[in-house]
Amino acid sequence: MLKSWKLKEVVLMSVFAVVFALVYLLFVQVGNIWAGVIGPIAYEWIFGIWFIVSIICAYIIRKPGAALLSETMAAIIEVMIGNAVGPRLILSGIVQGLGAEAAFAATGYKRYDWWVLCLAGIGSAVFSFAYGFFVSGYAALDPSLLVLMFSLRVMSGAIIAGLGGKYVSDGLLATGALRGYAISRDTSKNHQLKGEAIG
Amino acid sequence: MSSRTWLHDMNPALKFILVIVSMLTLAWFFNPWTPFLVFVGVILIQLSFSRINWKVWSLFMIPIGFSALGYLWTTVLFAADTSGNVIWVWRGIEVTDQQWHTALSLAFRVFAFSSLSLLFALTTNPVKFVMSLMQQLRLSPKLAYGVMVGYQFLPVVKEEFIQIRHAHRLRGIGQEKYAWQRLLSMRRILIPLLASAVRRAERSAFAMEARGLTGERRSIYYEPLHIGGRDWLLAIILIFVLIASSVAGFLLS
Repeated sequence: MLKSWKLKEVVLMSVFAVVFALVYLLFVQVGNIWAGVIGPIAYEWIFGIWFIVSIICAYIIRKPGAALLSETMAAIIEVMIGNAVGPRLILSGIVQGLGAEAAFAATGYKRYDWWVLCLAGIGSAVFSFAYGFFVSGYAALDPSLLVLMFSLRVMSGAIIAGLGGKYVSDGLLATGALRGYAISRDTSKNHQLKGEAIG
Repeated sequence: MSSRTWLHDMNPALKFILVIVSMLTLAWFFNPWTPFLVFVGVILIQLSFSRINWKVWSLFMIPIGFSALGYLWTTVLFAADTSGNVIWVWRGIEVTDQQWHTALSLAFRVFAFSSLSLLFALTTNPVKFVMSLMQQLRLSPKLAYGVMVGYQFLPVVKEEFIQIRHAHRLRGIGQEKYAWQRLLSMRRILIPLLASAVRRAERSAFAMEARGLTGERRSIYYEPLHIGGRDWLLAIILIFVLIASSVAGFLLS
């Protein structure tokens, strides 16, 4: 899978993983304190933030595996920084990455429109909920509460991770820093095509 | 007291797998005793085989305590299984012993998970962990060295974050009143941070390739890591704690 990857793309994912690992850990703390007041549902509405790196990296690099690898790398870096959630973060990172990856794979890694990004966020939400159902013992909770938690997480995945990821990446694209990555090539091609159509 | 360094010297990949296996095993139990005994067992292992700073350990545990509390009362109120005898009633909410047990179990599970995580986090050198993932678990060198570069940038990212904040403050932005405004303003900080991260990634990727990193697996490492007899001994002790608490949990409930 890694043969077709340039080293600069791998390192790009890794430095993004560092930035977002810090953001993620910050939100774990926020979530933990909230969770004391309103229970595990506290994590649900901010859950999308934890999927964002896979969507940003897939959107920029546009290669199979970008979503899975970036989320896994962010999880490894979170573990390297050290925290009380610990090694199992790597497992949940892989699960969340796979969820996003599934959405990109379903579109054949060809489309990166806003709705595909939302779908990737939803994919992560669904996969991570199934995993949480097992690991965090959601099976012991009332089904109606579970439905509420699940729909909050899916919404958060679509809005925070999907739309938020696009919002951040587009802003980054505008700075010109992404020249040399698939995202600039594809968008400039689009512009050319439009230009030809008009002219 | 030489045994007090064992956990610190243990092979990180093996330790990682053990912690993951313990957590996945715990996920099957809904009685309060198993996670509680694992929690105690892990603390005992750490007391005898590691030399960690317990003050740091407690600081990590405080927020965990909060989230465990959340789990406790959510499960009391919203348990799926409401059979058993009612043990107390408060303003029309009836709590059965079954509900109470499940709630305690989930709360203790949070503690058991955290103690396992801290067992790993406080005794493992992060760089050795990635090296061990590459050498024992065959993580691709491209990824492993990529992660290492990112990790080395951690202090730089922190510094840059502070600089960007200062720059914003000088120009009088960044004094939002509401939480949602602050959440949206994250983009103002993230984008310059990421833009410079992209440039740095490119520079270091060039530098790494210039120094001969091909991403191929190598046969000789500068710092080879092995799994020795002592590692297996610790593994057996941890697995014993796991099995013993599973059996005890089964018998006690």
